[in-house]
Amino acid sequence: MEIVELLNVDAVVPNMKAASKKQVLQELAARAARLTGKDERIIFDVLLERERLGTTGVGNGIAIPHGKLPGLPRLYGMFARLDTPVDFDAIDDQPVDLIFLLLAPETAGADHLKALARVSRLLRDKGLCEKLRGSDNRDALFALLTEPATSHAA
Amino acid sequence: MELANQIIFFAGALLLVSIIAGLLSSRIGAPLLLVFIGLGMLIGEDGPGGIAFNDYGGVFFVASLGLAIILFDGGLRTPMADVRLVWAPSLSLATLGVAITAAITGLVAMLTLDLGVVESLLIGSIVASTDAAAVFLLLHQRGMDLKKRVGATLEVESGANDPMAVFLTVTLAELLIAGHGDASWSVLTNFFLQMGMGAALGIGGGYALAWAINRMELASGLYPVLAIAGALFIFGGAHFVGGSGFLAVYLAGIVAGNQRLRANQLIHRFHDGLSWVSQIVMFFLLGLLVTPSSLVPDLIPAGLIALALIFIARPLAVLLCLLPFRFPREERLFIAWVGLRGAVPLYLAIIPILAGVTGSLIYFNVAFVVVLTSVVLQGWTVPWIGRRLDVQLPPVPETAGRLDLDLTPGMDRDLYGWRVEEGSTAAQRPFAQLHLPRRTRVLAILRDGALLPRETLERLLPEDQVLALCPPEQSIKLDRLFGRPRSRRERTPSTLGDFAFPAATTLAALADTYDLPVAKHMREQTVGAYLDEQLPGPITIGDRVRMGAVDLIVREMKGGNIVTVGLRLISDDDGRGPGLRVRLQEIVGDLRARLRIVPARPKPAASKTADANVVPLRKAQGD
Repeated sequence: MEIVELLNVDAVVPNMKAASKKQVLQELAARAARLTGKDERIIFDVLLERERLGTTGVGNGIAIPHGKLPGLPRLYGMFARLDTPVDFDAIDDQPVDLIFLLLAPETAGADHLKALARVSRLLRDKGLCEKLRGSDNRDALFALLTEPATSHAA
Repeated sequence: MELANQIIFFAGALLLVSIIAGLLSSRIGAPLLLVFIGLGMLIGEDGPGGIAFNDYGGVFFVASLGLAIILFDGGLRTPMADVRLVWAPSLSLATLGVAITAAITGLVAMLTLDLGVVESLLIGSIVASTDAAAVFLLLHQRGMDLKKRVGATLEVESGANDPMAVFLTVTLAELLIAGHGDASWSVLTNFFLQMGMGAALGIGGGYALAWAINRMELASGLYPVLAIAGALFIFGGAHFVGGSGFLAVYLAGIVAGNQRLRANQLIHRFHDGLSWVSQIVMFFLLGLLVTPSSLVPDLIPAGLIALALIFIARPLAVLLCLLPFRFPREERLFIAWVGLRGAVPLYLAIIPILAGVTGSLIYFNVAFVVVLTSVVLQGWTVPWIGRRLDVQLPPVPETAGRLDLDLTPGMDRDLYGWRVEEGSTAAQRPFAQLHLPRRTRVLAILRDGALLPRETLERLLPEDQVLALCPPEQSIKLDRLFGRPRSRRERTPSTLGDFAFPAATTLAALADTYDLPVAKHMREQTVGAYLDEQLPGPITIGDRVRMGAVDLIVREMKGGNIVTVGLRLISDDDGRGPGLRVRLQEIVGDLRARLRIVPARPKPAASKTADANVVPLRKAQGD
C-alpha cells in the first residue's frame, strides 16, 4: 500500500486554520465532504465517534483521525498542516499540527488497516515531519508525502 | 621508586585507553568486553607488548574482588519489584539451568576433547553460568529497554547463577584431585550448606549494612566506602564460615539497595565507577593471562563446545526451565540467546589450575574460546535480535540532563532541574505552547547562568536550565519534554502500539472500528479485562496479545491494573531494520555528539536558586 494510492494532490491542505480539536475535525469533514461527495455531518460524526474511543493524536504533534464511511467507493486520505498547533488530547499531551485523515469504505477490512499502518509508519519519521512543518507549498508537501518509502529512512 | 612510578603511569594510561576505546566501541556496537580482553592480549606475550604474565593466583585474587564488587553493584540496582516479578524463573534458570547446561556442554566436551566424565563435566560447569557483568553491561550500557520480565529475569539469573557454577566447579575440581568418583550425599548437603549460609549471611548482612549506613554520622564521602567495606566483609565472611560469598554479596546488595539509604546517589555513583574499573581490570588481566599461541591446538574442539553451548545447551536449558512459566516464544528465544559468558568462566577455569589438577591449561583455553565466541556472536547481535523478536520497549529519553533534589520527606512534590537538550520538544516550540503535566510549576529558568524573567521568555533554547516543582510520577513526562530523544534514528518504535485506548473500551467498539474477530459473547468485555484474562502471570508493560491483524499491547499500568491499551497495526514492512548506510550515519552522528565538548553546567547556581525558592515551594504545595 503506497501513500500515492490514498492521497491526491488536491487532498493536501498546506495551511489549515483551526483553534480547537473540534474545529479541526469540522474543517476536515467539510473538505472531505467536497472530496468524496458524502455528507459533511456524517463524516464529522464518524470522526468524533472515533475520537471518543481514544485520541488519534499519536504524539510528536501528529494526529491520524480515521473511520469507516458507508458507501465510500475507495480509501480516501487527506493531509493537513495547521498554521498554529492545537490541543488534540494527544497521548504525549503535546499540541498537534500535522494531520493525516483516512476514510475507508465499510467493507475495506484489511486494506483499511494496511493503509492506516502505512500512514502511521510514515509519520513516525521525525525527519520527514520536520520537512513537512517547514513547507507550506501544496506540491512540495505532496511530493514529500509520496516519496518512495526507502528515502524516508535516512 | 622508578618502578612504582612506571607502574602508576601504565595503569593510568591503560585506564585512559580502555575508556576511550570503550567509547568508540559502544558506538560501533562492538562489545566492550572484547576491547578490554583485546588490549590485554596485545600487551601480553604473543602481542607487541610481549609481557609474559602467568600469575594465575594474582588474577584469581583480583577477579574474586572484581566479581564481588560487580555482584554487589548489580544487587544494589536491582529493585525488589523486579525480584518479586521474576524470582521463580530466574531461580529455575540459575540452578537447574546451570546443571542442564553443564551436563550437555560436558557431553559435547567428552566427545570432542577425549576427556573423562568428570573432566568433561568440569568443562561444562566452568562455562555454564551467564556472566552478571556482561549481562548488566549489555542491558544497561547499550541503553536497551527490555520488557520488564525479560530484562529482570536475565539480570537476576546472571547474578544468582554464579554461586551455583562456582560450587559445581570447586566440587568437580576436588573430585578430580581426590582421584576417584565420590559423588556421595556429602556433595548435596554441602550444596545446601553453602547456599543456605550464603543466603542467610547476605540477607542479614544487607540489613545490617543499611542500618549502619543510616545510623553512623560520617563525612559524606565515606558512605560509599562504608558500603563497599561492608560488601567485602560479607563476601569474605561468608567464605570463612563455609558459605557462598558470591551469593551473600549479591543478596546483600539487593537488600541494602532496596532500603532507603542515606547518601544513596553517592553510593550508587561510586559503585558504578568501581564496577567499571573492576570490569576493565578483570578483562584486561584475563586477556593478559592467556597465551594465544597455546590456544591453537585446542581451537577446533573448543569452538565446537562454544557452538554447542550457544545453540544447543543454553536453548534447551532455557526451554526446560521456563516450561512452567509460560513465557511467549519470542521471549524464550531472546533469553536463550542472551546467555552471555564473560569473566566468570575464565575465573572458574583458574580454579583447577590453582588446585593443581593435571593438564588444567585446557580448561582455561576452552573457557577463553567459549567466552570470546559468546561475546562476539551474542554480544554483537543482541540489540538486533531484540528488535527482531520485539522484546524491546521504545527508548525512554535520556535523563542525563536531570538534577533531582529530595525535599523534606512528606512533601508529595520534588524539585527537579533540567537542562534543555538540543532537539527536545521544549526547544522546538514556543514556551506558551508547551503542555506541562498536572501540578507542575516551573520555578525558574536560567540562561547563561542568569535568571530569565518569565514574561520576556518566548522560547526555551538548548542549554537553558529549567527548575520545576512536580510530583515524582510526572517527572518522566518532563524528561520527555526537555530531554533529547535517545536514539539518533528518529523514529519512535511502534512497540507500544499506533493508537492508545483506555482499558475500559469494549471489545465491541474496537472490533467494529478495526474489523477484528471478536466472538459475540465477548463483545461486552473491556479490552483491559480481556488482556488480563489472556496474559499469564504478572502483567507488565509491553505484554501483548494478537487479535486478527492487530496486536493489543499493555501500554500503561497503575497499581497492578492495566490503564491504557495500545493497538498496533501489523504491516508488511515490520521488522525491516535500517540499512547499512543509515547505521553508519547514525554512528557518525552519535560520535560527533559524544565528542562535542559540553559546557559545564552552572550547578551551584541551580542549587542556590532552589534555596531561594523554598517559600514559593511550600505555598505551591497546597494546590
